[in-house]
Amino acid sequence: MTDAGMEALTEPYYAALRRGELVVQHCKACGRNIMYPRHVCPFCYEADLSWTQVSGAGVLHSFAVQRTGPPTGFDDDLPYAVGVVKLDDGVQLLGRLWPDEDGEWDGYACDGRVEFRGATGAEIERRPVAWFRRST
Amino acid sequence: MAEVSADEAVFIGLAELPSGRYPDRPFMGDLVNVAVAAVRDAGLTVPDIDTILLIPCLHSPADQADLVFSRVVEELGLHGRAKSSYMVHSGGSTSDNTIRDAAGLIGTGRARNVLVLQAEKWGSAPVKEMVDMLTANGIPREWEKPTGLSFNAVGALIQRRYMHMSGSTPADMASVCVALRDWARLNPNAMYKDRALTVEQVLASKVVTDPLHAMECPMLADGAVGLVMTSAGNARRLGNDRFVRVAGSGGCVSHYSIGQEADLAVLGWATASVEAYEEAGWGPEDADVAEVYDSYAAVLTSGMEGLGLAPKGEAARMFAAGDFSPGGRLPVNTNGGLLSAGHTGVGGGTALLTEGVRQLLGRAGPDRQIDGATRAVCGGTGGTYMDSQVLLLEAGS
Repeated sequence: MTDAGMEALTEPYYAALRRGELVVQHCKACGRNIMYPRHVCPFCYEADLSWTQVSGAGVLHSFAVQRTGPPTGFDDDLPYAVGVVKLDDGVQLLGRLWPDEDGEWDGYACDGRVEFRGATGAEIERRPVAWFRRST
Repeated sequence: MAEVSADEAVFIGLAELPSGRYPDRPFMGDLVNVAVAAVRDAGLTVPDIDTILLIPCLHSPADQADLVFSRVVEELGLHGRAKSSYMVHSGGSTSDNTIRDAAGLIGTGRARNVLVLQAEKWGSAPVKEMVDMLTANGIPREWEKPTGLSFNAVGALIQRRYMHMSGSTPADMASVCVALRDWARLNPNAMYKDRALTVEQVLASKVVTDPLHAMECPMLADGAVGLVMTSAGNARRLGNDRFVRVAGSGGCVSHYSIGQEADLAVLGWATASVEAYEEAGWGPEDADVAEVYDSYAAVLTSGMEGLGLAPKGEAARMFAAGDFSPGGRLPVNTNGGLLSAGHTGVGGGTALLTEGVRQLLGRAGPDRQIDGATRAVCGGTGGTYMDSQVLLLEAGS
């Protein structure tokens, strides 16, 4: 997934996911959080960027459940859900949603609260993705 | 009809080939055939064309390169004569950006007769390959591709948000597809001109990407379109007493990544339309017809609401009530749209824009011509609905 020269942006993010943490980029010049990670701050255009761990709590803006016809390489993941999450930390991102115990996502709703709960082991090694579950 | 100043750019001709699966129609053949037909329709000859603006194809990088490197100029015998031939590309909103370019070139005297050309072979290309190409490109490789985001999932994210905010039911959303099919049945160039569709059929089709059913997803199609523009002064000299001008234009690029869109049920339409209506000096209530990008039902309903063509949250229910169907209050996507005329890649937006021009020229044929249509609201959007591009068209003389 990483183009040559992009490791400075992708590796800290992926490494956090492998540790079970969610980090976002943070501009030391203007103090704002940034997602997705950028080469320069899109608010103040300085390049003094760092990383900050976030709680991962937020609101589910929308989600989609892929039941058939996934991109090549994702057949074994079916069914799976992707969702846009607006974090309380002021940034948003697309992630995966854990199914409920019945293997479905009927308990999820737009504008419902969700929280980051990272994947572990082989799954997170395989796909560097932020996973969320609905808050109970 | 508006009185158009002599140096302003206007549409004077168009041509279109049927959309669908036509494996026996070669790409370059479609391009030159539709080019010659459009030029003749405009009352010109091919050597009168001095500038060619090309809408990209997505089925083949090699064919795309042929477009970029002026193969069409040579095929049409315009080498040594054409001033320039180039491609504009912003995905599904390309036609809007291209027409702005053409109008600027003509309005400043830097081009005399501009031919806008589009052809696509999506319907004949291997579907899986095309879908993978769409999925692999135009979404962030580093941040979103690993989630398994499919193109239908992009549409599903918008549709679920729209349904949540508007309270629209699955049947309301399906009725959008049915209205488009009813229009397609009146369009001899539409992919699904021969197949009726009901809400029940849509809802009975399998769920592909929840909440989208299979029949709510666009079918990839072959297709080709040509448009000819010149100045109003030239148009009059050619004996044209009716042509189409761009009365207003506006745009808003609201994201690159679907995960970064601030509101998936809003996108950039409202922002884009303010500037366009201001320039035109008329509003959505003055529109006789609308041609708005519709690769998924909620893309269309969100667009129509942002463009002021329906009250916020009401567009899908108004489709269900028949307001936008043949015989309804406001004709919308009178060619059948991408969902029923066929998704010709970047050409889907071009086909809608062309239908707007066709309606205002009064040439949509007996079955679907809107009587007395003089104003059309056209909207296009590219990529993951990254931008909302508005062109307001007006018949003039």
